[in-house]
Amino acid sequence: MRTKLLVAAAAITTLLSTAPVAAHHSFAAEFDASKPFKLTGVVTKVEWQNPHTIFSLDITDEQTKKVTNWSFEMGSPNGLMRNGWTRNTLKIGDVVTVEGSLARDGSPYGNAQAVVLASTGTRLFAASSRTDAQ
Amino acid sequence: MSSARYVALASAFVIAAFYTAWAQQGPSATRSVEPTPRLADGTPNLGRVPGEKGVWNVPYIQNMGMRIPGPDGKTTAERGTAAENGGGRGGAKAEPDVPFLPWAGGIYDYNSRNNSKYDPEGYCLPPGGPRLMATPYPMEIIQQPEHKRIFMVFEGATHIWREIYMDGRPHPQGDELNPTYLGHSVGHWEHDTLVVDVVGFNENTWLDYYGHPHTDLLHVIEKFTRSNKTTLRYEAVIDDPGAYSKPWTVAWNIPWSAGGELTEYICQENNRYLLKLTDDFGEPVLGGR
Repeated sequence: MRTKLLVAAAAITTLLSTAPVAAHHSFAAEFDASKPFKLTGVVTKVEWQNPHTIFSLDITDEQTKKVTNWSFEMGSPNGLMRNGWTRNTLKIGDVVTVEGSLARDGSPYGNAQAVVLASTGTRLFAASSRTDAQ
Repeated sequence: MSSARYVALASAFVIAAFYTAWAQQGPSATRSVEPTPRLADGTPNLGRVPGEKGVWNVPYIQNMGMRIPGPDGKTTAERGTAAENGGGRGGAKAEPDVPFLPWAGGIYDYNSRNNSKYDPEGYCLPPGGPRLMATPYPMEIIQQPEHKRIFMVFEGATHIWREIYMDGRPHPQGDELNPTYLGHSVGHWEHDTLVVDVVGFNENTWLDYYGHPHTDLLHVIEKFTRSNKTTLRYEAVIDDPGAYSKPWTVAWNIPWSAGGELTEYICQENNRYLLKLTDDFGEPVLGGR
Protein backbone atom coordinates (compact mmCIF):
# COMPACT_ATOMS: atom_id res chain seq x y z
CA MET A 1 0.00 0.00 0.00
CA ARG A 2 2.60 2.49 1.10
CA THR A 3 4.90 1.49 -1.75
CA LYS A 4 2.13 1.95 -4.32
CA LEU A 5 1.33 5.38 -2.98
CA LEU A 6 4.98 6.33 -3.18
CA VAL A 7 5.07 5.14 -6.79
CA ALA A 8 2.04 7.29 -7.54
CA ALA A 9 3.63 10.24 -5.79
CA ALA A 10 6.81 9.73 -7.79
CA ALA A 11 4.82 9.73 -11.02
CA ILE A 12 3.13 12.96 -10.04
CA THR A 13 6.47 14.49 -9.11
CA THR A 14 7.82 13.50 -12.53
CA LEU A 15 4.95 15.35 -14.17
CA LEU A 16 5.58 18.46 -12.13
CA SER A 17 9.23 18.34 -13.03
CA THR A 18 8.39 19.06 -16.67
CA ALA A 19 8.13 22.74 -15.77
CA PRO A 20 10.77 24.81 -17.60
CA VAL A 21 14.28 24.45 -16.32
CA ALA A 22 16.81 27.13 -15.67
CA ALA A 23 18.46 28.27 -18.84
CA HIS A 24 20.73 31.02 -17.75
CA HIS A 25 24.02 29.76 -19.11
CA SER A 26 25.36 27.07 -21.33
CA PHE A 27 25.19 23.72 -19.54
CA ALA A 28 27.46 22.07 -22.08
CA ALA A 29 30.18 24.72 -21.80
CA GLU A 30 30.62 24.08 -18.09
CA PHE A 31 29.48 20.49 -17.47
CA ASP A 32 29.96 17.15 -19.21
CA ALA A 33 26.74 15.14 -19.62
CA SER A 34 28.85 12.06 -20.39
CA LYS A 35 30.30 12.21 -16.86
CA PRO A 36 27.40 11.42 -14.55
CA PHE A 37 27.97 11.15 -10.81
CA LYS A 38 26.12 9.96 -7.73
CA LEU A 39 27.69 11.19 -4.50
CA THR A 40 26.64 11.16 -0.85
CA GLY A 41 27.82 13.59 1.78
CA VAL A 42 27.03 15.98 4.61
CA VAL A 43 25.66 19.44 3.85
CA THR A 44 28.10 22.21 4.89
CA LYS A 45 26.63 25.25 3.10
CA VAL A 46 23.50 26.31 1.23
CA GLU A 47 23.37 29.47 -0.89
CA TRP A 48 19.70 30.02 -1.81
CA GLN A 49 20.46 32.46 -4.63
CA ASN A 50 19.97 33.41 -8.28
CA PRO A 51 20.77 32.41 -10.88
CA HIS A 52 21.74 29.13 -9.23
CA THR A 53 21.24 27.81 -5.75
CA ILE A 54 24.55 26.23 -4.77
CA PHE A 55 25.11 23.83 -1.90
CA SER A 56 28.26 22.20 -0.58
CA LEU A 57 28.86 18.72 0.80
CA ASP A 58 31.72 17.14 2.72
CA ILE A 59 32.25 13.88 0.88
CA THR A 60 34.48 11.18 2.35
CA ASP A 61 36.42 8.94 -0.02
CA GLU A 62 35.55 5.38 1.00
CA GLN A 63 39.07 4.09 0.48
CA THR A 64 41.37 6.90 1.56
CA LYS A 65 38.92 8.41 4.12
CA LYS A 66 39.98 11.80 2.79
CA VAL A 67 37.24 14.43 3.02
CA THR A 68 36.68 16.77 0.07
CA ASN A 69 34.28 19.69 0.03
CA TRP A 70 32.20 19.60 -3.19
CA SER A 71 29.75 22.19 -4.49
CA PHE A 72 26.72 21.58 -6.66
CA GLU A 73 24.74 23.96 -8.81
CA MET A 74 20.96 23.67 -9.01
CA GLY A 75 18.30 25.87 -10.58
CA SER A 76 17.23 29.26 -9.26
CA PRO A 77 14.89 29.59 -6.26
CA ASN A 78 11.81 30.18 -8.45
CA GLY A 79 12.45 26.97 -10.40
CA LEU A 80 13.27 25.01 -7.26
CA MET A 81 10.10 26.17 -5.49
CA ARG A 82 8.03 24.95 -8.44
CA ASN A 83 9.72 21.59 -7.94
CA GLY A 84 8.77 21.39 -4.27
CA TRP A 85 11.79 22.98 -2.61
CA THR A 86 11.92 25.56 0.14
CA ARG A 87 15.00 27.39 1.42
CA ASN A 88 15.01 24.97 4.37
CA THR A 89 14.81 21.74 2.38
CA LEU A 90 18.56 21.31 2.84
CA LYS A 91 20.01 22.05 6.25
CA ILE A 92 23.61 22.04 7.40
CA GLY A 93 24.41 18.58 8.72
CA ASP A 94 21.85 16.76 6.57
CA VAL A 95 23.04 13.69 4.70
CA VAL A 96 22.04 13.78 1.03
CA THR A 97 22.78 11.93 -2.20
CA VAL A 98 23.23 14.02 -5.35
CA GLU A 99 22.98 12.86 -8.96
CA GLY A 100 24.15 14.99 -11.85
CA SER A 101 26.98 15.82 -14.25
CA LEU A 102 30.58 16.68 -13.40
CA ALA A 103 32.28 19.98 -14.26
CA ARG A 104 34.50 19.84 -17.34
CA ASP A 105 37.43 21.50 -15.53
CA GLY A 106 37.87 18.58 -13.12
CA SER A 107 37.14 20.65 -10.03
CA PRO A 108 34.94 19.26 -7.20
CA TYR A 109 31.90 20.89 -8.75
CA GLY A 110 28.84 19.46 -10.43
CA ASN A 111 25.46 20.23 -11.91
CA ALA A 112 22.83 18.55 -9.73
CA GLN A 113 19.81 17.02 -11.43
CA ALA A 114 18.27 15.25 -8.43
CA VAL A 115 18.82 15.30 -4.68
CA VAL A 116 17.72 12.51 -2.32
CA LEU A 117 17.33 13.34 1.37
CA ALA A 118 18.72 10.44 3.42
CA SER A 119 16.45 11.13 6.41
CA THR A 120 13.19 10.73 4.48
CA GLY A 121 14.16 9.18 1.15
CA THR A 122 12.50 12.11 -0.59
CA ARG A 123 13.80 12.64 -4.10
CA LEU A 124 13.71 16.20 -5.40
CA PHE A 125 14.46 17.46 -8.90
CA ALA A 126 17.02 20.21 -8.94
CA ALA A 127 15.67 22.40 -11.79
CA SER A 128 18.90 21.71 -13.64
CA SER A 129 19.92 23.67 -16.71
CA ARG A 130 20.61 20.38 -18.50
CA THR A 131 18.08 19.26 -21.08
CA ASP A 132 17.95 15.97 -22.96
CA ALA A 133 18.40 17.84 -26.21
CA GLN A 134 21.88 18.78 -25.16
CA MET B 1 -11.44 4.64 2.46
CA SER B 2 -9.94 1.21 1.75
CA SER B 3 -6.35 0.87 0.67
CA ALA B 4 -7.35 -0.44 -2.73
CA ARG B 5 -9.72 2.47 -3.32
CA TYR B 6 -7.07 4.94 -2.21
CA VAL B 7 -4.57 3.49 -4.65
CA ALA B 8 -7.22 3.54 -7.39
CA LEU B 9 -7.89 7.19 -6.65
CA ALA B 10 -4.21 8.05 -6.72
CA SER B 11 -3.81 6.17 -9.99
CA ALA B 12 -6.78 7.99 -11.47
CA PHE B 13 -5.18 11.28 -10.52
CA VAL B 14 -1.95 10.28 -12.23
CA ILE B 15 -3.83 9.24 -15.38
CA ALA B 16 -5.82 12.47 -15.32
CA ALA B 17 -2.64 14.47 -14.91
CA PHE B 18 -1.03 12.66 -17.86
CA TYR B 19 -4.15 13.29 -19.93
CA THR B 20 -4.12 16.96 -19.06
CA ALA B 21 -0.45 17.23 -20.00
CA TRP B 22 -1.15 15.45 -23.27
CA ALA B 23 -4.29 17.44 -24.01
CA GLN B 24 -2.40 20.71 -23.69
CA GLN B 25 0.04 19.63 -26.38
CA GLY B 26 -1.82 17.11 -28.54
CA PRO B 27 -2.89 18.47 -31.92
CA SER B 28 -6.18 16.56 -31.92
CA ALA B 29 -7.27 17.50 -28.41
CA THR B 30 -10.33 19.50 -29.38
CA ARG B 31 -12.93 17.94 -27.13
CA SER B 32 -11.73 19.31 -23.79
CA VAL B 33 -10.39 22.61 -25.15
CA GLU B 34 -12.07 25.80 -24.02
CA PRO B 35 -12.55 28.58 -26.58
CA THR B 36 -10.44 31.71 -26.79
CA PRO B 37 -11.46 34.09 -23.98
CA ARG B 38 -12.43 37.57 -25.12
CA LEU B 39 -12.62 41.08 -23.73
CA ALA B 40 -15.97 42.89 -23.55
CA ASP B 41 -15.49 44.36 -27.03
CA GLY B 42 -14.75 40.96 -28.56
CA THR B 43 -10.96 41.36 -28.79
CA PRO B 44 -9.14 38.14 -27.85
CA ASN B 45 -8.05 38.17 -24.21
CA LEU B 46 -4.38 37.14 -24.17
CA GLY B 47 -4.28 37.10 -20.39
CA ARG B 48 -6.26 35.89 -17.43
CA VAL B 49 -10.00 35.43 -17.25
CA PRO B 50 -11.44 37.49 -14.36
CA GLY B 51 -11.42 35.47 -11.17
CA GLU B 52 -8.78 33.02 -12.37
CA LYS B 53 -5.00 32.82 -12.16
CA GLY B 54 -2.73 31.60 -14.92
CA VAL B 55 0.48 32.36 -16.81
CA TRP B 56 2.00 31.45 -20.18
CA ASN B 57 4.55 28.72 -19.65
CA VAL B 58 7.27 29.91 -22.05
CA PRO B 59 9.14 26.90 -23.46
CA TYR B 60 12.91 26.57 -23.63
CA ILE B 61 13.48 26.85 -27.38
CA GLN B 62 17.19 26.36 -27.92
CA ASN B 63 17.52 26.30 -31.69
CA MET B 64 15.24 28.38 -33.90
CA GLY B 65 16.63 26.56 -36.93
CA MET B 66 14.37 23.68 -35.84
CA ARG B 67 11.33 25.97 -35.61
CA ILE B 68 10.88 26.98 -39.24
CA PRO B 69 7.39 26.01 -40.47
CA GLY B 70 7.33 23.88 -43.61
CA PRO B 71 4.62 23.75 -46.28
CA ASP B 72 2.33 21.92 -43.84
CA GLY B 73 2.74 24.70 -41.25
CA LYS B 74 4.61 22.39 -38.88
CA THR B 75 8.20 22.89 -37.81
CA THR B 76 10.91 20.23 -37.74
CA ALA B 77 10.55 20.11 -33.96
CA GLU B 78 6.77 19.67 -34.21
CA ARG B 79 7.15 16.85 -36.74
CA GLY B 80 9.34 15.08 -34.21
CA THR B 81 12.00 14.24 -36.75
CA ALA B 82 14.81 15.77 -34.74
CA ALA B 83 15.57 16.18 -31.07
CA GLU B 84 12.72 18.32 -29.83
CA ASN B 85 14.76 21.37 -29.07
CA GLY B 86 18.24 20.97 -30.35
CA GLY B 87 18.52 19.03 -33.56
CA GLY B 88 22.23 18.54 -33.08
CA ARG B 89 24.98 21.12 -33.36
CA GLY B 90 26.02 20.78 -36.96
CA GLY B 91 26.46 24.50 -37.46
CA ALA B 92 25.23 26.50 -40.45
CA LYS B 93 25.59 23.71 -43.00
CA ALA B 94 23.13 21.57 -41.02
CA GLU B 95 20.45 24.27 -41.34
CA PRO B 96 19.85 24.89 -45.05
CA ASP B 97 16.54 26.64 -44.31
CA VAL B 98 18.30 29.43 -42.39
CA PRO B 99 19.48 31.98 -45.01
CA PHE B 100 22.80 32.85 -43.35
CA LEU B 101 25.04 35.47 -44.91
CA PRO B 102 28.59 34.01 -44.91
CA TRP B 103 29.81 35.94 -41.85
CA ALA B 104 26.66 35.01 -39.89
CA GLY B 105 27.15 31.33 -40.76
CA GLY B 106 30.74 31.60 -39.58
CA ILE B 107 29.73 33.12 -36.25
CA TYR B 108 27.04 30.46 -35.85
CA ASP B 109 29.60 27.71 -36.47
CA TYR B 110 31.87 29.26 -33.84
CA ASN B 111 29.03 29.37 -31.29
CA SER B 112 28.18 25.75 -32.16
CA ARG B 113 31.75 24.56 -31.66
CA ASN B 114 32.13 26.14 -28.23
CA ASN B 115 28.70 25.04 -26.97
CA SER B 116 27.38 28.62 -26.73
CA LYS B 117 30.02 29.46 -24.14
CA TYR B 118 29.61 33.20 -24.75
CA ASP B 119 25.79 33.27 -24.77
CA PRO B 120 24.77 36.77 -23.56
CA GLU B 121 22.07 35.19 -21.38
CA GLY B 122 24.92 33.55 -19.49
CA TYR B 123 26.02 37.10 -18.65
CA CYS B 124 22.48 37.70 -17.30
CA LEU B 125 21.75 40.04 -20.20
CA PRO B 126 18.18 40.00 -21.50
CA PRO B 127 17.11 38.15 -24.63
CA GLY B 128 16.19 40.26 -27.64
CA GLY B 129 13.67 39.68 -30.38
CA PRO B 130 11.87 36.35 -30.54
CA ARG B 131 14.07 34.87 -27.82
CA LEU B 132 11.82 36.60 -25.29
CA MET B 133 9.27 33.92 -26.05
CA ALA B 134 11.87 31.13 -25.99
CA THR B 135 13.48 31.66 -22.58
CA PRO B 136 12.04 30.15 -19.40
CA TYR B 137 10.29 31.09 -17.06
CA PRO B 138 6.57 32.02 -17.33
CA MET B 139 5.20 35.35 -18.62
CA GLU B 140 1.93 37.27 -18.63
CA ILE B 141 0.26 39.47 -21.24
CA ILE B 142 -1.69 42.38 -19.78
CA GLN B 143 -3.95 44.33 -22.14
CA GLN B 144 -4.89 47.93 -21.41
CA PRO B 145 -7.18 48.89 -24.30
CA GLU B 146 -8.23 52.05 -22.47
CA HIS B 147 -4.60 53.17 -22.61
CA LYS B 148 -3.99 51.69 -26.07
CA ARG B 149 -1.08 49.59 -24.89
CA ILE B 150 -0.19 46.01 -23.99
CA PHE B 151 2.36 44.91 -21.41
CA MET B 152 4.28 41.68 -21.51
CA VAL B 153 5.80 40.77 -18.16
CA PHE B 154 8.50 38.11 -17.99
CA GLU B 155 9.57 36.29 -14.84
CA GLY B 156 12.59 34.86 -16.60
CA ALA B 157 14.76 36.40 -19.25
CA THR B 158 16.19 38.58 -16.48
CA HIS B 159 12.83 39.58 -14.99
CA ILE B 160 11.91 42.12 -17.64
CA TRP B 161 8.84 43.70 -19.21
CA ARG B 162 8.04 45.23 -22.57
CA GLU B 163 5.41 47.71 -23.66
CA ILE B 164 3.67 47.43 -27.02
CA TYR B 165 2.15 50.69 -28.28
CA MET B 166 -1.33 50.12 -29.70
CA ASP B 167 -2.08 53.82 -30.37
CA GLY B 168 -1.02 53.81 -34.00
CA ARG B 169 2.24 55.67 -33.53
CA PRO B 170 5.08 54.96 -35.98
CA HIS B 171 8.56 53.80 -35.03
CA PRO B 172 10.99 56.64 -34.25
CA GLN B 173 13.15 57.53 -37.21
CA GLY B 174 16.83 58.25 -37.61
CA ASP B 175 18.76 59.14 -34.48
CA GLU B 176 15.57 59.05 -32.45
CA LEU B 177 15.54 55.27 -32.79
CA ASN B 178 17.95 54.51 -29.99
CA PRO B 179 19.06 50.85 -30.04
CA THR B 180 17.82 48.84 -27.06
CA TYR B 181 17.74 45.21 -25.96
CA LEU B 182 14.03 44.73 -26.61
CA GLY B 183 13.58 47.26 -29.41
CA HIS B 184 10.61 49.51 -30.15
CA SER B 185 7.30 47.65 -30.44
CA VAL B 186 4.11 48.84 -32.13
CA GLY B 187 1.11 46.57 -32.45
CA HIS B 188 -2.28 46.17 -34.06
CA TRP B 189 -4.94 43.49 -34.39
CA GLU B 190 -5.48 41.56 -37.60
CA HIS B 191 -8.71 39.65 -36.94
CA ASP B 192 -7.85 37.56 -33.86
CA THR B 193 -4.08 37.90 -34.16
CA LEU B 194 -1.98 40.50 -32.38
CA VAL B 195 0.71 41.66 -34.83
CA VAL B 196 3.71 43.43 -33.32
CA ASP B 197 6.36 45.18 -35.40
CA VAL B 198 9.71 45.61 -33.66
CA VAL B 199 12.82 47.54 -34.72
CA GLY B 200 15.64 49.33 -32.91
CA PHE B 201 17.51 46.35 -31.44
CA ASN B 202 21.07 46.65 -30.22
CA GLU B 203 23.61 43.93 -31.10
CA ASN B 204 24.18 42.63 -27.58
CA THR B 205 21.89 39.61 -27.90
CA TRP B 206 21.59 36.37 -29.84
CA LEU B 207 18.41 35.14 -31.52
CA ASP B 208 18.55 31.89 -29.51
CA TYR B 209 20.67 29.77 -27.21
CA TYR B 210 22.33 28.05 -30.16
CA GLY B 211 23.75 31.39 -31.20
CA HIS B 212 22.06 32.56 -34.42
CA PRO B 213 23.43 36.12 -34.66
CA HIS B 214 21.69 39.33 -35.64
CA THR B 215 22.61 42.95 -36.35
CA ASP B 216 20.97 46.26 -35.46
CA LEU B 217 19.16 46.09 -38.80
CA LEU B 218 16.98 43.38 -37.25
CA HIS B 219 13.26 43.88 -37.89
CA VAL B 220 10.91 41.36 -36.26
CA ILE B 221 7.22 40.91 -37.04
CA GLU B 222 5.56 38.90 -34.29
CA LYS B 223 2.14 37.28 -34.40
CA PHE B 224 0.37 36.19 -31.21
CA THR B 225 -2.75 34.05 -31.70
CA ARG B 226 -4.63 32.53 -28.77
CA SER B 227 -6.24 29.72 -30.74
CA ASN B 228 -7.95 28.38 -27.62
CA LYS B 229 -7.82 29.13 -23.93
CA THR B 230 -4.71 27.05 -23.29
CA THR B 231 -2.64 27.65 -26.43
CA LEU B 232 -0.81 30.74 -27.66
CA ARG B 233 0.62 30.30 -31.15
CA TYR B 234 3.70 32.46 -31.55
CA GLU B 235 5.19 33.29 -34.92
CA ALA B 236 8.06 35.65 -35.71
CA VAL B 237 9.44 36.81 -39.03
CA ILE B 238 13.15 37.50 -38.66
CA ASP B 239 14.13 40.14 -41.21
CA ASP B 240 17.77 41.14 -40.81
CA PRO B 241 19.54 42.04 -44.06
CA GLY B 242 22.73 42.48 -42.05
CA ALA B 243 22.91 38.79 -41.19
CA TYR B 244 20.49 36.88 -43.45
CA SER B 245 19.90 37.00 -47.21
CA LYS B 246 16.11 36.98 -46.83
CA PRO B 247 13.49 36.98 -44.04
CA TRP B 248 12.81 33.67 -42.31
CA THR B 249 9.99 32.63 -40.02
CA VAL B 250 9.94 30.69 -36.76
CA ALA B 251 6.93 29.46 -34.79
CA TRP B 252 5.96 27.45 -31.74
CA ASN B 253 3.13 27.00 -29.25
CA ILE B 254 3.18 28.38 -25.73
CA PRO B 255 0.98 26.49 -23.25
CA TRP B 256 -1.20 28.16 -20.61
CA SER B 257 -0.45 27.15 -17.04
CA ALA B 258 -3.78 27.43 -15.23
CA GLY B 259 -3.38 28.61 -11.65
CA GLY B 260 0.19 29.73 -12.24
CA GLU B 261 1.60 33.00 -10.92
CA LEU B 262 4.83 34.85 -11.59
CA THR B 263 7.57 34.73 -8.97
CA GLU B 264 10.94 36.47 -8.74
CA TYR B 265 14.06 35.69 -10.76
CA ILE B 266 17.01 38.06 -10.47
CA CYS B 267 19.74 36.51 -12.58
CA GLN B 268 22.37 39.11 -11.66
CA GLU B 269 22.51 38.16 -7.98
CA ASN B 270 25.45 35.76 -7.90
CA ASN B 271 26.48 34.92 -11.44
CA ARG B 272 29.48 32.70 -10.81
CA TYR B 273 29.48 31.53 -14.41
CA LEU B 274 30.55 34.98 -15.55
CA LEU B 275 33.14 35.26 -12.78
CA LYS B 276 34.73 31.99 -13.94
CA LEU B 277 34.38 32.59 -17.68
CA THR B 278 37.61 32.60 -19.67
CA ASP B 279 38.15 33.62 -23.29
CA ASP B 280 39.62 31.50 -26.07
CA PHE B 281 43.13 32.28 -24.80
CA GLY B 282 42.34 31.21 -21.25
CA GLU B 283 42.23 34.76 -19.91
CA PRO B 284 39.38 35.82 -17.58
CA VAL B 285 36.65 37.62 -19.51
CA LEU B 286 36.24 40.03 -16.62
CA GLY B 287 39.91 41.01 -16.60
CA GLY B 288 41.00 38.83 -13.72
CA ARG B 289 38.60 40.14 -11.17
